[in-house]
Amino acid sequence: MSKKLISALLIICLVCLPLFALADGTLNVFNYGEYIDDEVIYNFEKEFGVRVNYSLNSNPEEMYTKLQTGVSYDVVVTSDYMIDRLIKEERILPLDKEIVTNLDQISDTMKGLYFDPDNTYSAPYLWQNVVLCYDTTKIDPAKVEDKGWEILLDPELDGHAFIYDSPRDVFMMAFKALGYSMNTDNPDELQEAYDWLVKMKQAIHPSFVTDEMIDGMAQGEKWIAMMYSGDAAYASMENEKLAVWAPTQGTNIAIDCMFIPSNAANPELANEFINYVLDYDNSMMITVETCYTSPNAKVLEDVTAPGGEFDGVEGYLPRMGYEKDEIYQYVKLLQNETPELLIKVQMQ
Amino acid sequence: MKSFFRMSYPYCLWIGVFIVAPMLMIFLYAITNTGNSTLTFQFTLDNFARFIRDPDFIRILLTSLRIALLTTVVCLLIGYPAALFIANLPDRKQTFMILLMTLPMWINMVLKTYAWRGILLNFDFSSEFKVFIGMVYDFLPFMIIQIHTAIAKLDPNLLIAAHDLGANNVKSFLKVTLPLSVPGIISGITLVFLPAVSSFFIPRMLGNGEVILIGNLIELCFKKTGDWNFGSAISLIMALIIITAMWATRKLDRSAEED
Repeated sequence: MSKKLISALLIICLVCLPLFALADGTLNVFNYGEYIDDEVIYNFEKEFGVRVNYSLNSNPEEMYTKLQTGVSYDVVVTSDYMIDRLIKEERILPLDKEIVTNLDQISDTMKGLYFDPDNTYSAPYLWQNVVLCYDTTKIDPAKVEDKGWEILLDPELDGHAFIYDSPRDVFMMAFKALGYSMNTDNPDELQEAYDWLVKMKQAIHPSFVTDEMIDGMAQGEKWIAMMYSGDAAYASMENEKLAVWAPTQGTNIAIDCMFIPSNAANPELANEFINYVLDYDNSMMITVETCYTSPNAKVLEDVTAPGGEFDGVEGYLPRMGYEKDEIYQYVKLLQNETPELLIKVQMQ
Repeated sequence: MKSFFRMSYPYCLWIGVFIVAPMLMIFLYAITNTGNSTLTFQFTLDNFARFIRDPDFIRILLTSLRIALLTTVVCLLIGYPAALFIANLPDRKQTFMILLMTLPMWINMVLKTYAWRGILLNFDFSSEFKVFIGMVYDFLPFMIIQIHTAIAKLDPNLLIAAHDLGANNVKSFLKVTLPLSVPGIISGITLVFLPAVSSFFIPRMLGNGEVILIGNLIELCFKKTGDWNFGSAISLIMALIIITAMWATRKLDRSAEED
């Protein structure tokens, strides 16, 4: 009898567990992995007397699918083109400008992006671009700077390259190498980019990985990597043989922003959180921890100033104002086709 | 008997909610053609056709089957002698050895695979071979434990009788031990083949992004392209292949028993 009772109680506890998580003072935050300083979350919890439920996703597509299933988050960090899509689909709540006053601290170049001209719906979180990070003792810098993305077709690099396993970024590289826009909706250009990638795959047999390449490059596992500038900055701080180069054929400028989904359970607290993260001190902690570039004007100035955390660190500050660099837009053709095409490239 | 039957209610409920209902949903997704947010959908077999017509997808399927089959065979070849050896030890040593076998299973598979990534980094193996090593390592204990259980249950008097009747060690093994351990072999094969054929984590960790298995393709449909219909269709095709394979092994088991 008592055993039955105990097991019944246990079952009830198990079932009710998720319900506790929905209690009033909880904020559900959805972000990329290794993309914050945990201290910021703890401090927010203390200051506001709430609990933050912090969960992770690895790419915008995964985040979108999660939202699609009806899971409720209060604050989500994701990439520019996905915000573009979500705004068009009316799945985002406007920010409460009375609360989010720290938007003033954001540098002008990061405000009013094409998808949200008045920052009605989104606030920048961190930004970066995709670069080549390479070992100067293995590859001649002059060659990398001369050839740009085309160097990845050089059979001499066979078995010595990392490629970031993200469909949009990999195809961006191919489009840029071919001189096309990375936001093209032309199926012929997509086919050409696919052929370029197959050629690359057969020439250098790269490893398609994600975060593993950060330590991989820092430890000299490979000679060259197509990677995010923040990761490249981190790796080059660890390994002085590394250099960072943004190819002259152009690359992307990726701006990750925070937004509040329309089914958020706690929008007011969400606005508070966004404002908290934009603040100088917290922005500083996040950029120092992640090595990604801060959108906070004063933070950016201080970390790159002489004696600052990223003074002289190659790759920390992405190239700005270059005509061939673009920001991703939501392009249905690319969104639908590139993930499957990339798998086909990988198995060549 | 009746009171026992009642005790199975929670399990029936579990099966209904967490196994039957999701299976039905997968089936529904597989034979329809719109996304997950709209209420209008059409019945279609396009998802299946798209898979079958694409040579790349068929290649992925064949690679998955090949690696899983090879893993199973190697696990059996290593696992059977090991299980036989353990079963012939004195009782206390047996318990210890089985403990040693299960010890790695206390550690999360993700961690173990990550460790293998580090080890294999220094070797110039092909990506597919690395995935294969990871799979054999991860799934071998399942094989050994299943076969060991079957052999340990064997009545030692049967072997004594075989020897009395003039059978040597080889003959008594072939005529007594091996046939009676077939059920263990079958469940071992099932427990190794199923996770191996649907694994997506091991190829991702050890395959350098070059080894794409069916599990990775399904993962892609659900996580990246959001094409749940196609993903469900692939899952169904996979389920069909697995059910056929299991049916065939059961059949083999039965004909072995009849011999």
